[in-house]
Amino acid sequence: MPWVILLMIVAFAFVFYVLVYASVTAQIQAIKSGTIPAPAGGAAQFDEALRMLRPDRVQSFGSGLVNGLGSIMLIVFAASHVGTEFGWGTLRTLLAHGAGRGAFLASKAVSLALFALMFVIAGSVASVAASFAVSGIAGYDLSGLDVGAVANAAGRGVYTFLPFMALATVIALWSRSAGAGIAAGLVVYFAEGLVAGILVSLNRDFATIVNYGLSRNVASVTRQTVVNTGGDATNAASTLPDPGQAALVLAIYAVVFVAIAYWRLRTRDITLS
Amino acid sequence: MADDVLRTSALTKRFGDLTAVDHLDLNVRRGEVVGLLGPNGAGKSTTIGMVLGLVAPTAGSAQVLGHDVATHRERALTGVGAMLEVTSFYPYLSGRDNLVAVALLRGDGALARVDPVLTRLGLAARGGSKFRTYSLGMRQRLGIASTLLGDPALVILDEPGNGLDPAGQREIRALIRELAEEQRGVLLASHLLHEVEQVCDRVIVIKKGKLIASGTIAEVAHRGSYYEIVVSDAGRASSALRALPGVTEIRATPTALEVVADAGRGAELNRALAAAGIYASAIVPRTSSLEDVFLELTESGSDATAAS
Repeated sequence: MPWVILLMIVAFAFVFYVLVYASVTAQIQAIKSGTIPAPAGGAAQFDEALRMLRPDRVQSFGSGLVNGLGSIMLIVFAASHVGTEFGWGTLRTLLAHGAGRGAFLASKAVSLALFALMFVIAGSVASVAASFAVSGIAGYDLSGLDVGAVANAAGRGVYTFLPFMALATVIALWSRSAGAGIAAGLVVYFAEGLVAGILVSLNRDFATIVNYGLSRNVASVTRQTVVNTGGDATNAASTLPDPGQAALVLAIYAVVFVAIAYWRLRTRDITLS
Repeated sequence: MADDVLRTSALTKRFGDLTAVDHLDLNVRRGEVVGLLGPNGAGKSTTIGMVLGLVAPTAGSAQVLGHDVATHRERALTGVGAMLEVTSFYPYLSGRDNLVAVALLRGDGALARVDPVLTRLGLAARGGSKFRTYSLGMRQRLGIASTLLGDPALVILDEPGNGLDPAGQREIRALIRELAEEQRGVLLASHLLHEVEQVCDRVIVIKKGKLIASGTIAEVAHRGSYYEIVVSDAGRASSALRALPGVTEIRATPTALEVVADAGRGAELNRALAAAGIYASAIVPRTSSLEDVFLELTESGSDATAAS
């Protein structure tokens, strides 16, 4: 599974770059040929979309892509990483051969964090490569790659993955099921963000409450990426928590989830049923 | 006792209202094979789970090589090799790599034992194959192989004969005896009573979590041994024999009396009958197999006592 996930993010990076390039250039051609009407903003917005594919924008488009897909894929990976130990019965085997429960959980946590790091490195490298490939084909300027900014965005991405991975882990461990961990992780990832967005759009005062959730703190930590990808990021950002506070809240979530997982594993009877 | 590699004291596990193991005392000494018998749901696997620290006892304790499993689990398990009822390894790793993973947990030269134990269990040729391709018998062998990596003083085998063909079962029986000869203690949970009868020095029978019999195979099997005595006057014969020490039970059948008494007492029974003026036309010692006794013990309502 780890290699499949790494291959998937590499493939997704290339596919997204190529798809966006092909789609935007096709629309430009259609507008030029009169097949479709020009949008209200003119062709400038298409130029901006194409500019996002250039190497000097990898930290926004490419990293945004990796971070967005990463949360989902790493929730699946984290839940499977722990849940399959129950499904295969290998947790019993390991513990029966003297492994400590704390050591087991620590090894899982370390391997998950390392995999998240590998994931963003693979995704970021693939995004850079895809950007150069697409830009080269399109004849764009290949200069301006900001490796530091890409690394910064990747680091922020890894940081924001951790609480979701910890959540998926604790649910998988509690339920002894990878499926439950995946389901819970994805529901929280999508539903919490959706509810938070709706509440803030209804009344900005709700931000003081939903800013203690996961999604808006993730958005705050990755704001640099979000803002640069356009959309309503500027409006949304005005109610987002301070990045420092957001980082602290995410760290607290991750630590609490890991602590619950540790407590549950310590106190649980490891039986066949 | 100094030779004990495993000792449990009043070991108890309750799951809600269900008492799975109830004040169980057992011990395994170096160099002996102890069979843990009981019907499905008797508490065998729960007992093994508590010995391995997988299941927390509600009360009582389990000690391995003098170390309490509850408080010094990792130190206690250093001396234990255990194969659980369902042999579970990583399906995407080879058999050999799975043993390497276990050996890394074991330390202390366990890695060097990986290839020898694969050879000893007849898996050398398939050691490089993925675990998921193994037959049930090969999985059992790999499970047994994993128990030997740490050079354990106590080997726990939960249903090792599952899925093995008769030749494989014979090999495993021989291996179990070898382990005992190497001065390891072996706790063997098995439904294969003929296997238990052949390899175990002692047996412990549990039912609903309670110990209902224990002792050597002979002692436990003797619980079902009796003399079949054919006499003309069963009533008088019963009275004469009941007074004899060592006669624990007399059952009347339409054709004979069944007298439960220690082995080798046929002459004494005959003498007592003759002294009472009763002459038996037949006194036939009947012995039971472990299976007979097991079924009698576990199917009856008896929460019987230990033989020793």
